[in-house]
Amino acid sequence: MNIDFRFIVTAFFEIMKALPLTLVITTVPLLIGFAIGIGTALIRLYKVKVIYKIADFYVSFLRGTPLILHIYIVYLGLPLLFDVLAEKWGWSIRSNSIPLIVFVFVAFSLNAGAYMSEIIRSGILAVNKGEIEAAYSIGMTTSQAMKRIVLPQALMISLPNLCNMFVGLLHGSSLAFSISLMELNGKANVVASTNWKFLESFIAAAVIYWGMTILAEKVTAILEKRLRMFIKGGVA
Amino acid sequence: MGKSFDLNLVFDFLPKLLSYLHITLLILVGAVLIGLLVGFLAALPRIYNIPVLRTLSAIYVSFIRGTPILIQLFLVYYGLPELLKTIQIDVTHMSSLVFVIITYGFSIGALFSEIIRAAVSAVDRGQTEAAYAIGMTPIAAFVRIVLPQALTIAFPNFANLVISYLKDTSLAFYIGVMDMTGRGQTLGTATNHFLEVYISLAIIYYAVCILLEKCFSLLETRMLRYERQFPVSQ
Repeated sequence: MNIDFRFIVTAFFEIMKALPLTLVITTVPLLIGFAIGIGTALIRLYKVKVIYKIADFYVSFLRGTPLILHIYIVYLGLPLLFDVLAEKWGWSIRSNSIPLIVFVFVAFSLNAGAYMSEIIRSGILAVNKGEIEAAYSIGMTTSQAMKRIVLPQALMISLPNLCNMFVGLLHGSSLAFSISLMELNGKANVVASTNWKFLESFIAAAVIYWGMTILAEKVTAILEKRLRMFIKGGVA
Repeated sequence: MGKSFDLNLVFDFLPKLLSYLHITLLILVGAVLIGLLVGFLAALPRIYNIPVLRTLSAIYVSFIRGTPILIQLFLVYYGLPELLKTIQIDVTHMSSLVFVIITYGFSIGALFSEIIRAAVSAVDRGQTEAAYAIGMTPIAAFVRIVLPQALTIAFPNFANLVISYLKDTSLAFYIGVMDMTGRGQTLGTATNHFLEVYISLAIIYYAVCILLEKCFSLLETRMLRYERQFPVSQ
Protein backbone atom coordinates (compact mmCIF):
# COMPACT_ATOMS: atom_id res chain seq x y z
CA MET A 1 0.00 0.00 0.00
CA ASN A 2 1.52 3.33 -0.86
CA ILE A 3 0.55 5.92 1.64
CA ASP A 4 2.81 8.91 1.99
CA PHE A 5 2.89 9.27 5.76
CA ARG A 6 5.00 12.39 5.68
CA PHE A 7 2.46 14.04 3.46
CA ILE A 8 -0.25 13.38 6.06
CA VAL A 9 1.72 15.61 8.44
CA THR A 10 2.20 18.29 5.77
CA ALA A 11 -1.48 18.12 4.86
CA PHE A 12 -2.44 18.25 8.54
CA PHE A 13 -0.75 21.62 9.04
CA GLU A 14 -2.02 22.90 5.72
CA ILE A 15 -5.63 21.93 6.50
CA MET A 16 -5.33 23.21 10.07
CA LYS A 17 -5.27 26.75 8.63
CA ALA A 18 -8.96 26.32 7.81
CA LEU A 19 -9.87 25.37 11.39
CA PRO A 20 -10.74 28.95 12.49
CA LEU A 21 -13.30 29.24 9.67
CA THR A 22 -14.80 25.87 10.56
CA LEU A 23 -15.09 26.96 14.19
CA VAL A 24 -16.75 30.23 13.16
CA ILE A 25 -19.34 28.49 10.98
CA THR A 26 -19.94 26.04 13.83
CA THR A 27 -20.25 28.40 16.80
CA VAL A 28 -22.10 31.34 15.24
CA PRO A 29 -24.99 29.13 14.01
CA LEU A 30 -24.89 27.36 17.38
CA LEU A 31 -25.54 30.67 19.17
CA ILE A 32 -28.17 31.94 16.72
CA GLY A 33 -29.76 28.49 16.65
CA PHE A 34 -29.84 28.54 20.42
CA ALA A 35 -31.87 31.75 20.42
CA ILE A 36 -34.20 30.39 17.73
CA GLY A 37 -34.42 27.13 19.65
CA ILE A 38 -35.49 28.74 22.93
CA GLY A 39 -38.06 30.91 21.12
CA THR A 40 -39.49 27.99 19.16
CA ALA A 41 -39.55 25.72 22.19
CA LEU A 42 -41.46 28.28 24.28
CA ILE A 43 -43.91 28.97 21.45
CA ARG A 44 -44.62 25.27 21.12
CA LEU A 45 -44.85 24.65 24.86
CA TYR A 46 -47.24 27.54 25.49
CA LYS A 47 -49.13 26.82 22.26
CA VAL A 48 -49.13 30.48 21.19
CA LYS A 49 -52.05 30.90 18.80
CA VAL A 50 -51.40 30.23 15.10
CA ILE A 51 -47.61 30.70 15.38
CA TYR A 52 -47.23 27.39 17.15
CA LYS A 53 -48.52 25.60 14.06
CA ILE A 54 -45.85 27.35 12.03
CA ALA A 55 -43.26 26.49 14.66
CA ASP A 56 -44.36 22.83 14.58
CA PHE A 57 -44.00 22.72 10.83
CA TYR A 58 -40.65 24.50 10.91
CA VAL A 59 -39.21 21.98 13.36
CA SER A 60 -40.61 18.93 11.64
CA PHE A 61 -39.71 20.04 8.12
CA LEU A 62 -36.15 21.04 8.94
CA ARG A 63 -35.63 17.81 10.86
CA GLY A 64 -37.06 15.84 7.97
CA THR A 65 -34.81 17.15 5.21
CA PRO A 66 -31.05 16.84 4.68
CA LEU A 67 -28.75 19.68 5.71
CA ILE A 68 -27.20 19.79 2.24
CA LEU A 69 -30.59 20.79 0.81
CA HIS A 70 -30.93 23.56 3.40
CA ILE A 71 -27.60 24.96 2.28
CA TYR A 72 -28.51 24.80 -1.40
CA ILE A 73 -32.00 26.22 -0.95
CA VAL A 74 -30.75 29.13 1.16
CA TYR A 75 -27.83 29.70 -1.21
CA LEU A 76 -30.11 29.86 -4.26
CA GLY A 77 -33.32 31.15 -2.70
CA LEU A 78 -32.10 33.89 -0.38
CA PRO A 79 -30.64 36.06 -3.16
CA LEU A 80 -33.92 35.87 -5.08
CA LEU A 81 -35.87 36.89 -2.01
CA PHE A 82 -33.35 39.57 -1.17
CA ASP A 83 -33.51 41.13 -4.61
CA VAL A 84 -37.28 41.20 -4.61
CA LEU A 85 -37.27 42.94 -1.23
CA ALA A 86 -34.45 45.26 -2.27
CA GLU A 87 -36.41 46.38 -5.29
CA LYS A 88 -39.55 46.89 -3.28
CA TRP A 89 -37.97 48.94 -0.51
CA GLY A 90 -35.37 50.60 -2.68
CA TRP A 91 -32.26 49.23 -0.94
CA SER A 92 -29.02 50.18 -2.60
CA ILE A 93 -27.33 46.78 -2.13
CA ARG A 94 -28.06 43.75 -4.28
CA SER A 95 -27.76 40.06 -3.47
CA ASN A 96 -24.44 39.58 -5.24
CA SER A 97 -22.74 41.62 -2.55
CA ILE A 98 -23.81 39.22 0.19
CA PRO A 99 -20.70 37.33 1.35
CA LEU A 100 -20.79 33.53 0.98
CA ILE A 101 -20.49 32.90 4.69
CA VAL A 102 -23.85 34.58 5.34
CA PHE A 103 -25.66 31.82 3.45
CA VAL A 104 -23.92 29.23 5.57
CA PHE A 105 -24.84 31.12 8.73
CA VAL A 106 -28.49 31.34 7.72
CA ALA A 107 -28.78 27.71 6.61
CA PHE A 108 -26.97 26.29 9.64
CA SER A 109 -28.78 28.55 12.11
CA LEU A 110 -32.18 27.53 10.78
CA ASN A 111 -31.14 23.88 10.92
CA ALA A 112 -29.64 24.17 14.39
CA GLY A 113 -32.66 26.10 15.64
CA ALA A 114 -35.02 23.27 14.70
CA TYR A 115 -32.91 20.60 16.39
CA MET A 116 -32.20 22.75 19.43
CA SER A 117 -35.82 23.63 19.99
CA GLU A 118 -36.48 19.91 20.50
CA ILE A 119 -33.50 19.61 22.85
CA ILE A 120 -34.59 22.61 24.92
CA ARG A 121 -38.22 21.53 24.92
CA SER A 122 -37.34 18.14 26.34
CA GLY A 123 -35.10 19.88 28.87
CA ILE A 124 -37.93 22.15 30.03
CA LEU A 125 -40.33 19.21 30.25
CA ALA A 126 -37.79 17.36 32.38
CA VAL A 127 -37.81 20.07 35.04
CA ASN A 128 -39.98 19.11 37.96
CA LYS A 129 -43.39 20.80 37.84
CA GLY A 130 -43.07 21.60 41.52
CA GLU A 131 -40.28 24.04 40.70
CA ILE A 132 -42.54 26.35 38.74
CA GLU A 133 -45.35 25.97 41.29
CA ALA A 134 -42.93 26.95 44.05
CA ALA A 135 -41.86 29.96 41.96
CA TYR A 136 -45.50 31.02 41.54
CA SER A 137 -46.21 30.53 45.23
CA ILE A 138 -43.52 33.04 46.21
CA GLY A 139 -45.08 35.48 43.76
CA MET A 140 -42.97 35.25 40.63
CA THR A 141 -44.52 36.00 37.28
CA THR A 142 -44.45 33.37 34.54
CA SER A 143 -41.55 35.00 32.73
CA GLN A 144 -39.58 35.39 35.95
CA ALA A 145 -40.19 31.77 36.86
CA MET A 146 -39.12 30.70 33.38
CA LYS A 147 -36.00 32.84 33.32
CA ARG A 148 -34.80 32.33 36.87
CA ILE A 149 -36.00 28.87 37.80
CA VAL A 150 -36.95 26.64 34.89
CA LEU A 151 -34.59 27.61 32.05
CA PRO A 152 -31.32 27.35 34.03
CA GLN A 153 -32.24 23.85 35.10
CA ALA A 154 -33.56 22.89 31.68
CA LEU A 155 -30.36 24.05 29.99
CA MET A 156 -28.25 22.04 32.36
CA ILE A 157 -30.30 18.93 31.74
CA SER A 158 -29.84 19.46 28.01
CA LEU A 159 -26.11 20.13 28.23
CA PRO A 160 -25.05 16.70 26.85
CA ASN A 161 -27.51 17.11 23.98
CA LEU A 162 -26.22 20.62 23.30
CA CYS A 163 -22.71 19.18 23.09
CA ASN A 164 -24.00 16.65 20.57
CA MET A 165 -25.50 19.57 18.70
CA PHE A 166 -22.10 21.26 18.59
CA VAL A 167 -20.51 18.09 17.29
CA GLY A 168 -23.34 17.68 14.78
CA LEU A 169 -22.80 21.21 13.50
CA LEU A 170 -19.05 20.71 13.40
CA HIS A 171 -19.56 17.66 11.20
CA GLY A 172 -22.29 19.42 9.25
CA SER A 173 -19.92 22.29 8.52
CA SER A 174 -18.06 19.86 6.26
CA LEU A 175 -20.89 20.45 3.77
CA ALA A 176 -20.18 24.16 3.49
CA PHE A 177 -17.55 23.35 0.87
CA SER A 178 -20.41 22.54 -1.51
CA ILE A 179 -20.90 26.27 -1.97
CA SER A 180 -17.12 26.61 -2.23
CA LEU A 181 -16.39 27.89 1.25
CA MET A 182 -12.85 26.95 2.27
CA GLU A 183 -13.42 25.26 5.63
CA LEU A 184 -11.66 22.08 6.76
CA ASN A 185 -13.25 19.82 4.19
CA GLY A 186 -12.95 22.36 1.38
CA LYS A 187 -9.30 22.87 2.25
CA ALA A 188 -8.77 19.10 2.37
CA ASN A 189 -10.24 18.82 -1.12
CA VAL A 190 -7.94 21.54 -2.41
CA VAL A 191 -4.86 20.03 -0.76
CA ALA A 192 -5.90 16.63 -2.12
CA SER A 193 -6.39 17.68 -5.69
CA THR A 194 -3.40 20.01 -6.00
CA ASN A 195 -1.01 17.33 -4.69
CA TRP A 196 -2.93 14.39 -6.13
CA LYS A 197 -2.87 12.75 -2.69
CA PHE A 198 -6.50 12.23 -1.77
CA LEU A 199 -6.28 9.56 0.90
CA GLU A 200 -3.53 11.34 2.83
CA SER A 201 -5.42 14.64 2.87
CA PHE A 202 -8.66 13.11 4.07
CA ILE A 203 -6.85 11.15 6.76
CA ALA A 204 -5.41 14.45 7.99
CA ALA A 205 -8.84 16.08 7.89
CA ALA A 206 -10.40 13.14 9.72
CA VAL A 207 -7.78 13.43 12.48
CA ILE A 208 -8.61 17.12 12.94
CA TYR A 209 -12.36 16.49 13.13
CA TRP A 210 -11.84 13.57 15.47
CA GLY A 211 -9.61 15.63 17.75
CA MET A 212 -12.09 18.48 17.86
CA THR A 213 -14.94 16.10 18.70
CA ILE A 214 -13.02 14.48 21.54
CA LEU A 215 -12.07 17.92 22.84
CA ALA A 216 -15.70 19.05 22.78
CA GLU A 217 -16.78 15.94 24.68
CA LYS A 218 -14.07 16.44 27.32
CA VAL A 219 -14.98 20.11 27.82
CA THR A 220 -18.65 19.20 28.19
CA ALA A 221 -17.83 16.52 30.75
CA ILE A 222 -15.93 19.07 32.86
CA LEU A 223 -18.69 21.67 32.50
CA GLU A 224 -21.31 19.13 33.43
CA LYS A 225 -19.43 18.14 36.56
CA ARG A 226 -19.16 21.76 37.66
CA LEU A 227 -22.71 22.74 36.82
CA ARG A 228 -24.23 19.67 38.38
CA MET A 229 -22.71 20.34 41.77
CA PHE A 230 -25.93 21.67 43.24
CA ILE A 231 -28.07 18.83 41.91
CA LYS A 232 -26.59 16.35 44.35
CA GLY A 233 -29.27 14.26 45.96
CA GLY A 234 -29.28 12.86 49.50
CA VAL A 235 -28.49 14.71 52.69
CA ALA A 236 -24.72 15.12 52.69
CA MET B 1 -29.52 29.81 -11.39
CA GLY B 2 -30.18 32.86 -13.45
CA LYS B 3 -33.67 32.05 -14.64
CA SER B 4 -36.67 33.19 -12.67
CA PHE B 5 -38.28 30.94 -10.11
CA ASP B 6 -41.09 28.77 -11.44
CA LEU B 7 -43.23 26.98 -8.90
CA ASN B 8 -44.79 24.64 -11.49
CA LEU B 9 -41.39 23.15 -12.19
CA VAL B 10 -41.21 21.93 -8.57
CA PHE B 11 -44.14 19.64 -9.31
CA ASP B 12 -42.78 18.68 -12.73
CA PHE B 13 -39.57 17.51 -11.10
CA LEU B 14 -41.28 15.41 -8.42
CA PRO B 15 -41.99 12.30 -10.59
CA LYS B 16 -38.58 12.52 -12.26
CA LEU B 17 -36.83 12.52 -8.92
CA LEU B 18 -39.12 9.90 -7.42
CA SER B 19 -38.03 7.42 -10.08
CA TYR B 20 -34.63 7.42 -8.35
CA LEU B 21 -36.02 6.92 -4.88
CA HIS B 22 -35.30 3.20 -5.02
CA ILE B 23 -31.54 3.87 -5.24
CA THR B 24 -31.72 6.03 -2.12
CA LEU B 25 -33.70 3.33 -0.32
CA LEU B 26 -31.32 0.64 -1.59
CA ILE B 27 -28.40 2.50 -0.02
CA LEU B 28 -30.33 2.88 3.21
CA VAL B 29 -31.47 -0.76 3.44
CA GLY B 30 -28.06 -2.12 2.44
CA ALA B 31 -26.35 0.10 4.98
CA VAL B 32 -28.76 -0.82 7.76
CA LEU B 33 -28.26 -4.55 7.13
CA ILE B 34 -24.48 -4.22 7.17
CA GLY B 35 -24.80 -1.88 10.13
CA LEU B 36 -26.81 -4.39 12.16
CA LEU B 37 -24.17 -7.08 11.60
CA VAL B 38 -21.22 -4.78 12.29
CA GLY B 39 -23.04 -3.23 15.23
CA PHE B 40 -23.58 -6.57 16.92
CA LEU B 41 -19.99 -7.65 16.33
CA ALA B 42 -18.71 -4.35 17.71
CA ALA B 43 -21.04 -4.39 20.69
CA LEU B 44 -20.25 -7.92 21.91
CA PRO B 45 -16.65 -7.31 23.06
CA ARG B 46 -17.81 -4.33 25.08
CA ILE B 47 -20.80 -6.13 26.56
CA TYR B 48 -18.68 -9.13 27.61
CA ASN B 49 -15.61 -7.02 28.45
CA ILE B 50 -13.16 -8.85 26.21
CA PRO B 51 -9.75 -7.12 26.50
CA VAL B 52 -8.04 -5.73 23.35
CA LEU B 53 -11.15 -6.27 21.23
CA ARG B 54 -13.01 -3.98 23.62
CA THR B 55 -10.46 -1.21 23.05
CA LEU B 56 -10.52 -1.71 19.29
CA SER B 57 -14.29 -1.47 19.27
CA ALA B 58 -14.18 1.68 21.41
CA ILE B 59 -11.70 3.32 19.01
CA TYR B 60 -13.86 2.35 16.02
CA VAL B 61 -16.95 3.88 17.60
CA SER B 62 -15.10 7.01 18.68
CA PHE B 63 -13.66 7.51 15.19
CA ILE B 64 -17.01 7.17 13.46
CA ARG B 65 -18.68 9.49 15.95
CA GLY B 66 -15.79 11.93 15.66
CA THR B 67 -15.66 12.45 11.90
CA PRO B 68 -18.22 13.75 9.42
CA ILE B 69 -19.87 11.15 7.22
CA LEU B 70 -18.58 12.93 4.13
CA ILE B 71 -14.97 12.51 5.27
CA GLN B 72 -15.67 8.84 5.98
CA LEU B 73 -17.08 8.51 2.49
CA PHE B 74 -13.97 10.03 0.93
CA LEU B 75 -11.71 7.88 3.11
CA VAL B 76 -13.41 4.67 2.01
CA TYR B 77 -13.63 5.77 -1.59
CA TYR B 78 -9.93 6.55 -1.85
CA GLY B 79 -8.61 4.22 0.86
CA LEU B 80 -10.41 0.93 0.30
CA PRO B 81 -9.02 0.31 -3.21
CA GLU B 82 -5.49 0.99 -1.88
CA LEU B 83 -6.06 -1.34 1.04
CA LEU B 84 -7.45 -4.13 -1.15
CA LYS B 85 -4.60 -3.72 -3.62
CA THR B 86 -2.22 -5.02 -0.96
CA ILE B 87 -4.10 -8.32 -0.94
CA GLN B 88 -4.24 -8.44 -4.74
CA ILE B 89 -7.88 -7.49 -5.17
CA ASP B 90 -8.60 -4.95 -7.85
CA VAL B 91 -11.70 -2.87 -7.24
CA THR B 92 -11.10 -0.06 -9.69
CA HIS B 93 -14.16 -1.07 -11.66
CA MET B 94 -16.45 -1.50 -8.68
CA SER B 95 -19.53 0.69 -8.71
CA SER B 96 -19.36 3.68 -6.38
CA LEU B 97 -22.71 2.52 -5.02
CA VAL B 98 -20.88 -0.32 -3.29
CA PHE B 99 -18.49 2.12 -1.62
CA VAL B 100 -21.39 4.18 -0.37
CA ILE B 101 -23.21 1.18 1.07
CA ILE B 102 -20.04 -0.06 2.77
CA THR B 103 -19.26 3.37 4.25
CA TYR B 104 -22.76 3.95 5.51
CA GLY B 105 -22.94 0.39 6.79
CA PHE B 106 -19.83 0.81 8.91
CA SER B 107 -20.87 4.28 9.99
CA ILE B 108 -24.31 3.15 11.08
CA GLY B 109 -22.77 0.02 12.65
CA ALA B 110 -20.74 2.05 15.13
CA LEU B 111 -23.80 3.93 16.34
CA PHE B 112 -25.85 0.72 16.43
CA SER B 113 -23.24 -0.90 18.63
CA GLU B 114 -23.62 1.96 21.11
CA ILE B 115 -27.41 1.58 21.10
CA ILE B 116 -27.24 -2.20 21.47
CA ARG B 117 -24.73 -1.92 24.31
CA ALA B 118 -26.89 0.58 26.17
CA ALA B 119 -30.02 -1.52 25.60
CA VAL B 120 -28.41 -4.73 26.83
CA SER B 121 -27.23 -3.05 29.99
CA ALA B 122 -30.75 -1.67 30.48
CA VAL B 123 -32.16 -5.20 30.73
CA ASP B 124 -32.49 -6.22 34.36
CA ARG B 125 -29.60 -8.42 35.50
CA GLY B 126 -32.13 -10.68 37.25
CA GLN B 127 -33.33 -11.84 33.85
CA THR B 128 -29.95 -13.38 33.05
CA GLU B 129 -29.74 -14.87 36.53
CA ALA B 130 -33.20 -16.38 36.21
CA ALA B 131 -32.22 -17.86 32.84
CA TYR B 132 -29.12 -19.42 34.39
CA ALA B 133 -31.20 -20.71 37.31
CA ILE B 134 -33.41 -22.75 35.00
CA GLY B 135 -30.28 -24.16 33.35
CA MET B 136 -29.85 -22.11 30.18
CA THR B 137 -26.38 -21.78 28.72
CA PRO B 138 -24.93 -18.26 28.53
CA ILE B 139 -25.60 -18.16 24.78
CA ALA B 140 -29.19 -19.34 25.14
CA ALA B 141 -29.77 -16.83 27.93
CA PHE B 142 -28.43 -14.03 25.79
CA VAL B 143 -30.21 -14.96 22.58
CA ARG B 144 -33.53 -16.05 24.06
CA ILE B 145 -33.96 -13.82 27.09
CA VAL B 146 -31.80 -10.70 27.04
CA LEU B 147 -31.64 -9.91 23.33
CA PRO B 148 -35.39 -9.81 22.59
CA GLN B 149 -35.89 -7.42 25.51
CA ALA B 150 -32.88 -5.33 24.53
CA LEU B 151 -34.16 -4.99 20.97
CA THR B 152 -37.47 -3.63 22.23
CA ILE B 153 -35.61 -1.05 24.32
CA ALA B 154 -33.27 -0.19 21.45
CA PHE B 155 -35.98 0.16 18.84
CA PRO B 156 -36.87 3.88 19.15
CA ASN B 157 -33.21 4.90 18.99
CA PHE B 158 -32.68 2.52 16.12
CA ALA B 159 -35.57 4.13 14.25
CA ASN B 160 -34.18 7.64 14.80
CA LEU B 161 -30.82 6.54 13.51
CA VAL B 162 -32.29 5.05 10.34
CA ILE B 163 -34.19 8.26 9.65
CA SER B 164 -31.10 10.39 10.17
CA TYR B 165 -29.13 8.17 7.80
CA LEU B 166 -31.86 8.48 5.19
CA LYS B 167 -31.02 12.17 5.12
CA ASP B 168 -27.29 11.46 5.03
CA THR B 169 -27.69 9.30 1.91
CA SER B 170 -28.12 12.62 0.08
CA LEU B 171 -24.32 12.95 0.23
CA ALA B 172 -23.70 9.88 -1.90
CA PHE B 173 -23.66 11.95 -5.07
CA TYR B 174 -20.33 13.43 -3.99
CA ILE B 175 -18.63 10.24 -5.15
CA GLY B 176 -20.79 10.01 -8.23
CA VAL B 177 -23.73 7.84 -7.21
CA MET B 178 -26.95 8.43 -9.12
CA ASP B 179 -29.33 8.50 -6.20
CA MET B 180 -32.17 10.97 -5.83
CA THR B 181 -29.88 13.91 -5.07
CA GLY B 182 -27.49 12.85 -7.83
CA ARG B 183 -30.37 12.84 -10.29
CA GLY B 184 -31.33 16.25 -8.93
CA GLN B 185 -27.88 17.58 -9.79
CA THR B 186 -28.12 16.43 -13.40
CA LEU B 187 -31.69 17.67 -13.65
CA GLY B 188 -30.55 21.05 -12.34
CA THR B 189 -27.69 21.24 -14.80
CA ALA B 190 -29.97 20.29 -17.68
CA THR B 191 -32.73 22.76 -16.91
CA ASN B 192 -30.80 25.44 -15.04
CA HIS B 193 -33.50 25.43 -12.37
CA PHE B 194 -31.53 24.25 -9.36
CA LEU B 195 -33.66 25.91 -6.71
CA GLU B 196 -36.83 24.16 -7.91
CA VAL B 197 -34.99 20.83 -7.98
CA TYR B 198 -33.82 21.24 -4.40
CA ILE B 199 -37.26 22.24 -3.17
CA SER B 200 -38.68 19.19 -4.93
CA LEU B 201 -36.05 17.01 -3.28
CA ALA B 202 -36.80 18.51 0.12
CA ILE B 203 -40.49 17.63 -0.30
CA ILE B 204 -39.64 14.02 -1.17
CA TYR B 205 -37.19 13.58 1.69
CA TYR B 206 -39.68 15.09 4.10
CA ALA B 207 -42.45 12.76 2.89
CA VAL B 208 -40.23 9.69 3.14
CA CYS B 209 -39.13 10.73 6.63
CA ILE B 210 -42.71 11.11 7.82
CA LEU B 211 -43.67 7.80 6.24
CA LEU B 212 -40.77 6.00 7.91
CA GLU B 213 -41.62 7.62 11.23
CA LYS B 214 -45.22 6.41 11.00
CA CYS B 215 -44.11 2.87 10.09
CA PHE B 216 -41.64 2.77 12.97
CA SER B 217 -44.19 3.98 15.49
CA LEU B 218 -46.63 1.28 14.33
CA LEU B 219 -43.90 -1.33 14.68
CA GLU B 220 -43.04 0.00 18.10
CA THR B 221 -46.55 -0.38 19.45
CA ARG B 222 -46.55 -3.93 18.08
CA MET B 223 -43.25 -4.73 19.72
CA LEU B 224 -44.45 -3.39 23.04
CA ARG B 225 -47.63 -5.51 23.07
CA TYR B 226 -46.14 -7.97 25.54
CA GLU B 227 -45.16 -5.26 28.00
CA ARG B 228 -48.00 -5.52 30.44
CA GLN B 229 -49.15 -2.31 32.04
CA PHE B 230 -49.50 -2.85 35.73
CA PRO B 231 -52.09 -0.72 37.49
CA VAL B 232 -50.25 1.81 39.62
CA SER B 233 -51.06 1.29 43.29
CA GLN B 234 -51.75 4.46 45.21
